Amino acid sequence: MSEQGYINYFEVLDLPVDCKPGEVRKNYKKLMKDLVIEIAKAAHEGMTDDKRDKYLLDMARLNTAFYILRDNDRRERYVQDRDKVIALEDQWRASVNEQRDDQESLRRAYDAAVRHFLATYMEEYMLEAGRDAECVEASRWDLAHERHASRVLRHYRQRLYNEIHERLPYFQITPPAIDWSERSRTISAILAGM
Amino acid sequence: MAKQNTVKRPVTQDDIDRCLARAIAEGDIVDFRFLFVPFSPLRADSTEDLQSDKYAYLRPRDEDNALFRDAMRLVSQGKLQRFVQGELEKKGPPQLPSELVLRLADNALRLEKYTAAAQAYELLRVRRRMQEELFRQADEALDRNEIPRAVHGYVAATGLEYDYAAFPEPMPAVPNFQTRALLLHAEYPHRPEDSLPLQAAETQITTALGYLLLSAEAATRLQPRPLEQRLAFIKELVRRRDPDWKQFRERYAQACALVRQFGERLERMARDASAGGKSTLENEIRSQQEQQDPRQVSATLLGREIPNGEWWQYLKDLAYAHPAAVMFVSRQAISKDLEIIMPRYRQDSPLVQTLELIVA
Repeated sequence: MSEQGYINYFEVLDLPVDCKPGEVRKNYKKLMKDLVIEIAKAAHEGMTDDKRDKYLLDMARLNTAFYILRDNDRRERYVQDRDKVIALEDQWRASVNEQRDDQESLRRAYDAAVRHFLATYMEEYMLEAGRDAECVEASRWDLAHERHASRVLRHYRQRLYNEIHERLPYFQITPPAIDWSERSRTISAILAGM
Repeated sequence: MAKQNTVKRPVTQDDIDRCLARAIAEGDIVDFRFLFVPFSPLRADSTEDLQSDKYAYLRPRDEDNALFRDAMRLVSQGKLQRFVQGELEKKGPPQLPSELVLRLADNALRLEKYTAAAQAYELLRVRRRMQEELFRQADEALDRNEIPRAVHGYVAATGLEYDYAAFPEPMPAVPNFQTRALLLHAEYPHRPEDSLPLQAAETQITTALGYLLLSAEAATRLQPRPLEQRLAFIKELVRRRDPDWKQFRERYAQACALVRQFGERLERMARDASAGGKSTLENEIRSQQEQQDPRQVSATLLGREIPNGEWWQYLKDLAYAHPAAVMFVSRQAISKDLEIIMPRYRQDSPLVQTLELIVA
């Protein structure tokens, strides 16, 4: 079972799955305070575009983790959706390994679930969290952050999607047998104009 | 009139092989995928007739070339033929044979059809590693000072870039010089030193590499290289991106002459524009007396006039025709409502000298 790519907000806040809302708030405040201090230091030393994007993403992740986990309904939905998408990936893999007939239907179900999971918990809630009063107060998140964050979040979401996609069974093509020394020779020939 | 009944001619194994070989030889991923869709003319249960005129493009036009012969040998292998036949008879989404997709991708890369190559390598999940290998070999070529090979490698590597933020699905990144040119000139240069062509040599070279390679990351890889090598790289890159650069150079010289001719008048107009662009009776009378429109400068740079063309329209068209040209032009306000693009360069710019933009 692989969970890589399906963001775990409990890990983001360094909390166990059965944590209480009070612990969520306490850890969030501490981690956000540390992050704000780190950002201030980085700003003093000279902020680069890469650093700015990284801090924006860290801030958005903390805000979203807090926003989802402090509310029991949202937390429950998140845990259910995450478990569902992980289980569907496992079922699809098993079906492919066993050469069963339900491969295509499981693939479609998984595809819909993973898209829903990423869109909801890595974009929609991230933007919603940025407008939440408590998050705004702790992180000083404003419209300028949101404007920049939409691009950063889109790339982040897509990067995670690709991370997941790369380990999934091949379905559009047959699994390729890649010999990298042959690839290197082919590229060399192409660059030589052959 | 009753619809004419036509009988679909049966598709033979040779037809299938030749159509697949053509798509592979031409590095055409779109046609290749089309050959497997549920209504593909290659399928026996499809009503589409491969021999009809509308599918002429799927049949090979030139069978007498090495890439086609090579592809034919590959698709004629019994194992692959049986697999393809199975997929063409299957209900539901087909699986493409990876051996054929890999050969197609290589041919697309060879023929510099980078978006097709990127899609095929992405399907094979090797695109990023292919990019890394291309960069590695291009850097080795640079170490040996083999500039054309290095430029080829960099152009191919950046050509395989994917736009994961594209909507609704990720797609290959396409050369978008028109958009990038507008971003380069987004801010109006209020001081001469703000204008792109008048910036320091190092800034100009870094900007030129990032813009022409369509990737700031690729430009960063070249940063530690000696100045002469980077200049030689840009010269080769411009030659590759713009085979008509020589024509632009000629038009650039003409535009410079025109600016000199307009000199005093442009200066006065710019002064008026920065003072609020008030149209005085004196200005109106003078502009009626002066026949030539300053927009001629932009039109000369582009080589044609855009009716009522704004500066950004000229800039976009110029970037499309001659991507590197936008590095040597600048926005200039002529009146409150009129801006043009005009040539501007530093005499001591190594980039200007390398690209032979000014004739001594």
